[in-house]
Amino acid sequence: MTAKGLAKAKEIYAKRDLRVRELNAQGKKIMGYVCAYPTLEMVTAMDYVPFKILGSMDEPITKADTQVPTIICPMLRSMLDLGMKGKVDFIEGFLGAHTCDCTEKFCHLYQYNMEFPYYHFLDVPHIAHEASFGFLKSGLQLLQKTLEKHTGKKIDTDRLKEEIKKHNALRALVRELYGLRKQDPPLLSGSENLQIMLALMAMPIEEGSEMVRDIIAEVKERKVGRPVKKAGRLLLWGSPLTETSIVEMIESLNDNVVMDDICTGTRHFWPDVEITPDPLDGLAKRYLNDLKCPRTFRETTASFEEDQEARFGYIRDYAKDWNVNGIILQSMKYCDTHGYEVPAIKAYFDRIGIPAMYLEHEYTMVALAPLKTRVEAFLEMIV
Amino acid sequence: MAEEKKKRAITRLESSALVRPLVNKMYMEGAAAGMEGRPVAWSMVNWWEGDIIMRAMDVTPVYPENYGTVCASDGIAQKYMGVSAAEGFPTHLCGYAQNTLGYSTEMKKAGQVPEGAPMGGMAKPTFMLCSEGFCDARYKWFQSLRQFWNVPVWTLPFPHPAYADLSLQDVHKVNVEYMAVELKGFIEFLEKLLGKKLDRDKLKMMLDNQEKVFKVWWDINELRKARPGPMHARDFWTMMVPCYYLAYDPETLAVYQQVYNEVKTRVEAGISAVPEEKYRLIFSELPPWHSLGFFDKLAERGWNFVTESPGYHPPPPMELNGGGDLLQRIARWTYWSYVNTGYRAAKMGYPTVGGAQPYYNWALEYKIDGILTHPLVTCRTATFWLTHSMNVLRDKLDIPGMSIQGDIVDLTVFDAATALNQAPAFEESMEHFRQVRKSKGLDW
Repeated sequence: MTAKGLAKAKEIYAKRDLRVRELNAQGKKIMGYVCAYPTLEMVTAMDYVPFKILGSMDEPITKADTQVPTIICPMLRSMLDLGMKGKVDFIEGFLGAHTCDCTEKFCHLYQYNMEFPYYHFLDVPHIAHEASFGFLKSGLQLLQKTLEKHTGKKIDTDRLKEEIKKHNALRALVRELYGLRKQDPPLLSGSENLQIMLALMAMPIEEGSEMVRDIIAEVKERKVGRPVKKAGRLLLWGSPLTETSIVEMIESLNDNVVMDDICTGTRHFWPDVEITPDPLDGLAKRYLNDLKCPRTFRETTASFEEDQEARFGYIRDYAKDWNVNGIILQSMKYCDTHGYEVPAIKAYFDRIGIPAMYLEHEYTMVALAPLKTRVEAFLEMIV
Repeated sequence: MAEEKKKRAITRLESSALVRPLVNKMYMEGAAAGMEGRPVAWSMVNWWEGDIIMRAMDVTPVYPENYGTVCASDGIAQKYMGVSAAEGFPTHLCGYAQNTLGYSTEMKKAGQVPEGAPMGGMAKPTFMLCSEGFCDARYKWFQSLRQFWNVPVWTLPFPHPAYADLSLQDVHKVNVEYMAVELKGFIEFLEKLLGKKLDRDKLKMMLDNQEKVFKVWWDINELRKARPGPMHARDFWTMMVPCYYLAYDPETLAVYQQVYNEVKTRVEAGISAVPEEKYRLIFSELPPWHSLGFFDKLAERGWNFVTESPGYHPPPPMELNGGGDLLQRIARWTYWSYVNTGYRAAKMGYPTVGGAQPYYNWALEYKIDGILTHPLVTCRTATFWLTHSMNVLRDKLDIPGMSIQGDIVDLTVFDAATALNQAPAFEESMEHFRQVRKSKGLDW
């Protein structure tokens, strides 16, 4: 493909398999994965191109309901549906992970239906006790063994460290990109940002770094298409967004989405991996502790208020640094991991004086109008 | 003359009546501990990982999941679920969780067990114990309860290896060792919280009893492979509670031994749990607790539910390697309860069929004619694999399935009349597939 910068991100966002199919045709092998927990550094060290498997809000589920009940996460059902329709037939391997309960089961069901030549399931613990890191490291060692057995190649420690550096470089660029939305008006809209993130999850890492570098330069220079100043500066929290429709709906009102804490945004890219003598130690720490997702249980402290601080303090820091004046807690229906979190996180932000609203959606394009009315009412309250 | 009360179609085990006092004792213990100021834990079902340690340290566990069924049967669960929604919790969350969140809101407001709470309510917890086992969303539920109870929450790990890993002893070793290390941490947490040391002799005695309970309860269920089936699922649901929650207790062992004797006698005499066993079925997932009479109607038609969801069964005799260290033993049993069906499939040469594995194994071994699934609208864990399991049994073993929607707490979802209307058509299907199986050389 020839497009660069924002145009490239837009093109890949519109057709997420575009780039990986091109690469596949050139002989590159593609590794599909779910969620933010698979250690992609090990995937790229084996010369695979990582591709995050996502659902589609825009395509009706017509096949997966023969396999899984309708009360299950609609995004996972959609992922299975797309798979059953042959839309990920370029994938050679599938790296699943125990992130939430439904995802765990989904991974096994997905593999049962898709029969990828390579499948590995990474059992990520939900607690971050000292022993949990050793346990996860054992899981990474097992992943290494199965990758090596499948490919007939060895993961060299130095190569893995180099891969970690490449991934960290992309992470640093993504953080720099997010920094462009600290100013008012932001240099980049929330929906453009989401397009970029989704595109990054469908291309090689170094190519992604190059694209982000181009975008940063382009956005700083552009005279047209910049977001305009609006009253609301919102942070979007919650379950994965795989399309920009909800962000576009929110930004069609008197606000800009300037920051996020979602699985297809900061959660995926934010913390670096520390380069440790045995790189698996650094990977275990990053994915189990540093990556902030409600799927990991954080130890209770002396009071509920302290718990809230430990669990949500990093979002408060985002809100402060990006000068946020409202938070939208969005989650798709049937997401237990986010659903349980809602009253506690809402109470936390109410207490520190940042209004928050809960927006539950059905993971479909067709039911956005009532949500828009609710966001409008919320904005009237905060600005 | 008063009409004679109609005899129920299922012949219940006489010994199942011995279980009720044990269950009542469990509830009374919880209420009494609260009133007497003794330590009480709100605990999830943890598949024997933490219960025995709490018992050995004189902590009385109460089980919000179990209490959810009590509130559902009592009818008060709807009120608690409404309160939970008013607190801002989404209504798609687990019915047991919504019930407890509503109950806790009411209890906090009242400053005591809320008026109208059945079975004396649940006493205020000293701490709460979560488990990652099977349904790992549950630790989010107890984390949420922290806003009502300023007490610590401890979470026990529960590895979930991939089905492909289930025959690897080195994976098991890592997983069990991790669990054992975490149990050590749990004991240290309790010792600090309670200001007392664990009595290891007491723990060993309880564990010895627990292992005997597993064995006899497992053997009882093995006897159900007999034709005709001597024990109906209704008796299983009545009797699963002591093994689940009171396996440490010698009284549980004594009761199960009596149950074993009765079931064995029935097998030897060829006594069936239903009048005329025409169809042998699996019931998949928790039953509609409020409508158990539904099973008598099906029994009248010759439907004998000879086994049910494996997650509520005891682990089979241990086949994993490992030493005699107490914590390793505890961890190994819990872990074995999760991996044993995959392990058996590998041993027997059965195909790997994901979450349908236990049903596949048992459909073959119990010689099943049909599976009746009961998807629970607020329980994703229980429901996730049901459609797949029906597909696998139909496609690989020519066993048909039927589904009736319900819920663990919300009574309004289950429609017994519609389900009963579907029964004749399903019988035709079971007859058809019986012929198909025979044509393929299968012996049932």
